[in-house]
Amino acid sequence: MKRIEIDPITRLEGHGKITIFLNGEGDVENAYLQIPELRGFEKFVEGLPVEEVPRVVTRICGV
Amino acid sequence: MKLKVGIYWGAACGGCDVAILDTHEKLLDIADKMEIYLWPIAMDFKYDDIRKMEDGYLDVAIYSGAIRSSENEEIAKLLRKKSKVMIALGACAHIGGIPGLANFYTKEEVLKRVYLESESTENKEGVIPRETWNVNEGELELPTFYNTVKTLDQVVDVEYYIPGCPPVPLQIYSALSLIWDDMLPPVGSVIGAGERTLCDDCPRERDEKTITEIKRIQQVLPDPKKCFLEQGLICLGPVTRSGCGSRCIKSGVPCRGCYGQLDEVPDLGIKMLSALASVLEPKEEKEIDALLDTIVDPLRTFHRFSMPASILRRKKV
Repeated sequence: MKRIEIDPITRLEGHGKITIFLNGEGDVENAYLQIPELRGFEKFVEGLPVEEVPRVVTRICGV
Repeated sequence: MKLKVGIYWGAACGGCDVAILDTHEKLLDIADKMEIYLWPIAMDFKYDDIRKMEDGYLDVAIYSGAIRSSENEEIAKLLRKKSKVMIALGACAHIGGIPGLANFYTKEEVLKRVYLESESTENKEGVIPRETWNVNEGELELPTFYNTVKTLDQVVDVEYYIPGCPPVPLQIYSALSLIWDDMLPPVGSVIGAGERTLCDDCPRERDEKTITEIKRIQQVLPDPKKCFLEQGLICLGPVTRSGCGSRCIKSGVPCRGCYGQLDEVPDLGIKMLSALASVLEPKEEKEIDALLDTIVDPLRTFHRFSMPASILRRKKV
């Protein structure tokens, strides 16, 4: 099966990759979007002093 | 001839890229001096475009973001090979930044919280991202998620550093103009920042008073004219490099060290602890300890942006 990779996807905030599989006729059999990035804010804001949280989570997205 | 430039982000928020755009009309100048060959947030180039280049083809690679995954490292190494000069842009590439707070946990703890425990995640099958995934049509791959977040210069050689979270736009411009004006300082220098501490630039009044009590900002009505530290509020100004224009201070919040330390200082957080100890009122060890014990979350305060670059590097596991 032919495989087309769009890596990276662009003009957005974040990381992404699209993989498209083409069947014998050249039609799209399936396509997958993958997000290869994770920083883990969900974990590292745990237990953070509450007054510090706004200045940390503003760094989730700077766009 | 225009400089050939690649701009990339590792584990980042995009704030550094936006800071480049926030140079406003100076952007026209940047566009006049630089030809961009990679910039995922703004332009449509692919990794393969870079792979096809001859080694050293690019004049400058500007990398923001920490090294958090094998992909971040792979692209950092690719850009290093293809570029004559490598610049770390922003706190994450420079000293680890906010993503570096993950160094207080293990990879497993992070993945468990994000994919299995988070209140907003529906994941009945309990799937955690894997490096390879078999689908009917073939195999899909994801980068390796590292246990320890690294700075850019922990994986590739870096010539220059532009600090800040985010870097001040005009500082980015002045740093870039050093390249096209051919006035770059010695390799290893921090550019687009000051050569003294934030305290030296701080507009607040300081009376050299000693501290008898450490407070949290919501427990007091801070005097907007007075030094935070003298009001008992932890501020990293005494050890942080200047150059930000005292942005946080002027907004009524104490410094958290995003510009990193000065050249001669080996560790920002430890230097801060030392600076703090010298302004405490108590002189007896027991009393000093008791006062220091009132600091809430000292590690993530003193190493808010710098854990990966610190001599501690990460929490021991």
